[in-house]
Amino acid sequence: MNIYVLLLIAVPIIFAVLFLVKNSKNYYKALSILLCLSGTVVSVLLTIQGTQKITISGSSFHVMEGAVLICEILILVFLYWVSIKYKRWTVLALTIVQTAITIYSELFMAKGENAVINVDKLSLIMLLIINIIGTLIVVFSDGYITKYEHHKGLKNKQKLYYSVICIFLAAMNGLVLSDSLNLVYFFWEITTLASFLLISYNKDEEAMNSGFRALFLNIIGGICFSVGIILFKNMMDVTTLSGIIDHRNTTALYTIPVFLLCIAGFAKSAQVPFHSWLLGAMVAPTPVSALLHSSTMVKAGVYLIVKLSPAYAGTKLGTMIAIYGALSFLICSAIAMSQRNAKKILAYSTIANLGLIISSAGMGTSIAVSAAMILIIFHAISKALLFLCAGEIEHTVGSRDIEDMSGLVHKAPMLAIITAFGIVSMILPPFGVLVTKWISIEVASQNPIIAILLVLGSAFTTIFWLKWISTILGYETDKREVHSKMDYTISIPLQILSVMILLTTIFITPIFNFFVSPEVTQLLGGENALSISKGKILSELGSFNEIMLFIIIIVTVGLYFLIKMFSSTAKVTNVYMCGENNTKDDKFSFRHSNGVSEKAVVSNLYLYETLNEKIIIKVGYVISIALIVLTLLGGLL
Amino acid sequence: MNIILKVILILILTPIVGCLIAGIDRVLTARLQHRVGPPLLQPLYDFLKLMSKENIVASKNQNTYILVYFMFVITSILMLFLQMDLLMIIFVYTIANVSLIIGGMSSGSPYAKIGSQREMMSMLSYEPVLIFFIIGMYMLTGSFNISGLNLASKPLIIYLPLIFISMLFIMSIKFKKSPFDFSTSHHAHQELVKGIFTEFSGPTMGLIELTHWFEYVFLLGLMFMFWKQNVVMGLIISIFTFLFVIVLDNITARLTWQWLFKVTWTIVIGLSIINILVIYFMKLTII
Repeated sequence: MNIYVLLLIAVPIIFAVLFLVKNSKNYYKALSILLCLSGTVVSVLLTIQGTQKITISGSSFHVMEGAVLICEILILVFLYWVSIKYKRWTVLALTIVQTAITIYSELFMAKGENAVINVDKLSLIMLLIINIIGTLIVVFSDGYITKYEHHKGLKNKQKLYYSVICIFLAAMNGLVLSDSLNLVYFFWEITTLASFLLISYNKDEEAMNSGFRALFLNIIGGICFSVGIILFKNMMDVTTLSGIIDHRNTTALYTIPVFLLCIAGFAKSAQVPFHSWLLGAMVAPTPVSALLHSSTMVKAGVYLIVKLSPAYAGTKLGTMIAIYGALSFLICSAIAMSQRNAKKILAYSTIANLGLIISSAGMGTSIAVSAAMILIIFHAISKALLFLCAGEIEHTVGSRDIEDMSGLVHKAPMLAIITAFGIVSMILPPFGVLVTKWISIEVASQNPIIAILLVLGSAFTTIFWLKWISTILGYETDKREVHSKMDYTISIPLQILSVMILLTTIFITPIFNFFVSPEVTQLLGGENALSISKGKILSELGSFNEIMLFIIIIVTVGLYFLIKMFSSTAKVTNVYMCGENNTKDDKFSFRHSNGVSEKAVVSNLYLYETLNEKIIIKVGYVISIALIVLTLLGGLL
Repeated sequence: MNIILKVILILILTPIVGCLIAGIDRVLTARLQHRVGPPLLQPLYDFLKLMSKENIVASKNQNTYILVYFMFVITSILMLFLQMDLLMIIFVYTIANVSLIIGGMSSGSPYAKIGSQREMMSMLSYEPVLIFFIIGMYMLTGSFNISGLNLASKPLIIYLPLIFISMLFIMSIKFKKSPFDFSTSHHAHQELVKGIFTEFSGPTMGLIELTHWFEYVFLLGLMFMFWKQNVVMGLIISIFTFLFVIVLDNITARLTWQWLFKVTWTIVIGLSIINILVIYFMKLTII
């Protein structure tokens, strides 16, 4: 048994216990920094060690199997208790179904003899994301959670918060390391439970509702997962993820369990029609949103779908998955246009980008699956940064409404510039998210329906980010109370994440060639039609030289300093208000005919009626459920 | 060495051609309105005068965004002439427009803010059509690189007629002429002062003028792609586009962004999608 694999699962569990011991802020700070360091070190060491497969058999397997069974029973008991206590009958019904399935698989199915752990490049990518970015977010929580509880008037429950997050990190590590389907499912369910506990952290009505909705939709996904596992075992005697891929097309009904696993992935990644839980999850403290609901847990869903890509590459199932993902992308980008709440914009954008990953994976060619993996990496970092910034802005300005963030660059310059950088990394080249969108549109052009959906969605994407960034970098029209300094546990993770975005963009060549390309070759076989060397991204479809863009950026920065040096400082005057004299204390007012001053307020355009959230969601539900049903029926035929 | 020579040549010749285009624009518009109009090189005289003026700003960092706008329009046009990936060229061009919009908002003037918002709506309207044009080009040539057009036996316009019409429409938006000059225009001054450019003056305004010269060549260069194989026919298409935009400017009044959004997202995008689907189902190609 590999020591690093053991550490990755055991260490967060140990920390989960340690967090419960004492109750002081400095203690939490020290522990979370230690967790961050250990997570980073162990995951990097495992990366250096390389890919490997480990089989657990014999006595250690039986011990592990017993422990897993006990935990699963405990989870079910907890679900029964919580759904009865809060009278959530739908969740109770689902838990009963889940229990039935568990009993069936325990009693009536042949026992396995071993468990397999598969550390491949995709697992390494996910491990680095979970243990570096995830733990950075935990460090951020230190500065954040005290203010949060103070603002909300809550009692101190921080040790529970940290504990659950550590268990969650352990579960995520286990999920991406496991090859045995039973293990993957076990860790999957733990993440669902952790999500419920963290979303309902406040224990107020909205939080409980959101928590239970998350539980409801994710248990549906879990049920699909477990039915898929049973079908795989009974139909093909397959018990591992690699087994699924090896047994490609051996039975006529192969696509059904594959698609069931994909549905579990859709539910976990909050695709339409399962998206409502992610929107509701925004009531949780921001670090929870950053960790679970943008960079880590929801990535588990797309991780599974990408890992299964050889199972459906080039088939009709793949095309359906691609259309499905593109649909989520379009729908959620359109809705994000009409949103004013920063966290809701981030949530819809997350769902949209996950849809893009799923769409790329569905297209199945080596270029497309490479794009999906690259997007997983870049999106995780950028979204984590943006969620953390949104949380800190909320504490600074006192509001989540982006209109209230007007002029942030003058009130909290570093925070504004980091947020602006985060947004730029989502919409502009040479940053990874746009590069993958470019690759995805190029690949999708072979199938116009997918291309059309992606192009229309992409138009919306640029605009809703643009509204936010131009408001932040704009000039203030409102003077709200501002907190003075950022605690170092807040500013340092933000700075580290920004530097990470920069570094991953500059070093995309080695990242691609070390992580992504070998994984794609291993999954799909054959040569990778996409190549990145020395910053030049090349495929049979098109090419792009990142170095050229970096040179232009450096030249621009150089010109900026040159001009600053050689020209006299510009004279700053008042804004032109049509000849009206601005009153001294309020710069943006017009004077009435009777001498009264009227403020001039210009807000962003939101298109509430054209892009009505409720109507688009209804349409989304209908089309996506129809697609899922169609695909299932198509698999039966 | 060859590349560097090419780049320098492009950087020198483009603003000259752009200046002449801007000048012809003003003279032609004047003649259509029964006026004499300014001398042909008036844009150059304006530019020189602007550069000699004092640098006054409404917000300390607003001019930085114009520098970024300028640099990336130049990058776009260099990439265009060096025949690189057209989809990436459009995304690089987006950097320039994004920077301009942020610059408009950063100055703080309510007029500039309204101009920026409307410019965002313009962007929402024209970006899909541009990308559909590029996808159409890919479907016909098998490559997103402009150099792929060199191997084509027929011009793009033969199989992209509906997209050509959509692109004419888009050119009118990008040239910021009626009926789409609602984010900034000379004629909208009673409504918007100068819209998105309100608070830029002096040398910064001169830089914006210069950038516009590059931008005109870039936009007409995009239209040139429709008949790239034959230089004469390509130029005729570019000139036709230019004249179309000017004539349309003079026969229409300024409309609203809501109208633009509705018309583009139904009719114009609809035409482009029909064109693409026809190419796909009939498996057309020009290689």
